Amino acid sequence: MIEGKLYDGVTAHPHDVRVSVGDSTLDLAQDGGWSDSVDATLLKRRDAPAGKLRLGRTDLPGWRLLLPAEAEPELAALLGRPERYGRWIDRIGLVPALIAGGVITATVVGIGYLAPHWIAPHVPMSWERNVGTAIVGDFGDLKCRDPKGQQALEALVEKVSPGATKGPDAIKIAALNVPIFNAAALPGGYIVVFKPAITETDPDALAGVLAHEIGHVRRRHVTEALIRELGIGALIRLFAGGVGANAEQIVSLSYTRDNEAQADADAIAALKRANISPKPTAALFSRLAKETGETRGFSAEFLQSHPLSGTRAGRFAASFDAKTHYQPALSQPEWDALAEICRDASHTR
Amino acid sequence: MNEMASVDAAEQLPSIQFTGTMREYLPIAATNLLLTVVTLFVYRSWAKARERRYLWSRTRFIDDELEWTGTGQEMFVGFVIVALLLGLVWLTFNFGLPAIALRFGPAAGLCTLLAFYILGMFLYGLARFRGLRYRLSRTWWRGIRGGSSDGGWTYGRKAIGYYLASFLLFGFLYPWAQAKLWNERWNRMSFGPLDFEAQMTSDDTKGPFFAFLGAAIIGNLVIGLFTNPNIIVFGPGLPRLVVPILAYLAIGATYLNFLAAYYRSAAEWTRIGELEFRLNAEFADWLKFYLATIGLAIITLGLAMAVYEFRKWRFIAAHLEAFGTIDVDQLTQSQTHAPREAEGFLDALDIGAF
Repeated sequence: MIEGKLYDGVTAHPHDVRVSVGDSTLDLAQDGGWSDSVDATLLKRRDAPAGKLRLGRTDLPGWRLLLPAEAEPELAALLGRPERYGRWIDRIGLVPALIAGGVITATVVGIGYLAPHWIAPHVPMSWERNVGTAIVGDFGDLKCRDPKGQQALEALVEKVSPGATKGPDAIKIAALNVPIFNAAALPGGYIVVFKPAITETDPDALAGVLAHEIGHVRRRHVTEALIRELGIGALIRLFAGGVGANAEQIVSLSYTRDNEAQADADAIAALKRANISPKPTAALFSRLAKETGETRGFSAEFLQSHPLSGTRAGRFAASFDAKTHYQPALSQPEWDALAEICRDASHTR
Repeated sequence: MNEMASVDAAEQLPSIQFTGTMREYLPIAATNLLLTVVTLFVYRSWAKARERRYLWSRTRFIDDELEWTGTGQEMFVGFVIVALLLGLVWLTFNFGLPAIALRFGPAAGLCTLLAFYILGMFLYGLARFRGLRYRLSRTWWRGIRGGSSDGGWTYGRKAIGYYLASFLLFGFLYPWAQAKLWNERWNRMSFGPLDFEAQMTSDDTKGPFFAFLGAAIIGNLVIGLFTNPNIIVFGPGLPRLVVPILAYLAIGATYLNFLAAYYRSAAEWTRIGELEFRLNAEFADWLKFYLATIGLAIITLGLAMAVYEFRKWRFIAAHLEAFGTIDVDQLTQSQTHAPREAEGFLDALDIGAF
């Protein structure tokens, strides 16, 4: 016999009851002669501090039976195990739940990481073109418009990737009068080269850089990066032809290490096909490595998405074949014209 | 004969006592954190339910513990519904607004934008009301629960007016609006057959609030003055660093002082039946609590935030007192409709407890 306190869920008045445990029932009785027998399947443990046992009924909200904790062993068989983490976790147990959850989470994150790579090749080029055109327009005053220079620039693209400037998916190349040593691929087959990347290099190195950017375009790395960084929303925007992201965001898109290495491999192959020496490109990358103070180190390369310029330089240099008789990428007159491409362009602030 | 549960000054035990311990709570917090992470935050609703079941069940009011009966499942369903609703609002905002601005001109766009803000205020008010209603309806004491038979729609409409009044007058009406809204909420809540009565005014919060407003204005001016490189003040060096920090501290301190006054006043002017409340947490207590919170968060690299709810609950329970008597025979079961939608709104908008 256990002494307990009963709240009936009708008022907050406590009733003293004596409790005895039956086969599949809990039997309650009171001095006045009142008694009740509660089916065990209706009983549910409720939370209580140490020293107390609190039972509720699933059919009567507010019905509460308070018993001393010492009654626990006697009631254990009747009540079953208490709920701990929530029914769906309790069913499989905490550790299996953590493991299963961890695996699912890792899979979801993994898919989230890989999905852009799978989706990108299936995004119609025409969507991307709409976005590209909307963002860059005709580049305004920044564009270097010297016709002979433009001709030479396009000739250089044709050299490393024959037929690239023709057809519906043509590469649209532009030189911009911006004082940054850089080149970038934009959505819709646009490639921009900033002025110092022309004036401070030589035609062979520029050919290497262009071949690298063309690799990004052809392998849809731009679309991939767009989806990766702006999320699935980017797909909707691409479809709707809206801009959504501003030009700065697009230019600062970064590629994965794999994508960069792939574009490098494409560039090396393109240079080989065009019979252009990879050495100037290698020299350019090792110069960049020195300027940006990069040092070789596992962690640095492991953590950065961009392969270190020093490593890239090594790859280009390794592809140099001493027996090949390399041709210059552009003739001297063509290069002279290209160097003057920004002659009439206005200066940026 | 009626049985009375009373809390008098003569009583030995405090009317509200929290008996939870960090040792008991830590395993709950840790497993909650782990499960939440590995389920991509799906477990969050269940974690909240577990946390509350613990906190409530270790809080004794007079002679029996409170009980939380809300479930993770209902909170999760509420969250999903609200996430879908808010997603819909977001989509309309992102695509509808530009379309309207483009088609009907910028004036129409501006009107739509205003309509969105007003809708936002309404939803926020509705969420606060419904969150409170849900929490009371899942809070039991001696087999009796609380609740409200009001849907909160009127409250949501009124909230728009009070929020607008506060905004338009640069916050000067904020303490007044805040007190009014507290009353509007609590006067529609009940526990068992007893209605809450709230008659808060801004009398006690005005002063601290204006002190905070003044500190914020002057403080920001000082910070601007001392961090502007074009203005030379008292030579270079130390003042540039120390004075802005002091200004930030002053702003924070006046805000905390206002917060203390607000909760103190809210508790003082809220009653239910013959029961009255008092929150004796002073400025110094709040300061200690928040300094400890920040300190712990720094030392544990943020992990201590997992026990924040516990610490906050313990802090409030330690400082909250109730006086008066309850006729437990008259405390009959609540006839209010128990809401089914949980507190999805409140959760989605991330609004705190009570």
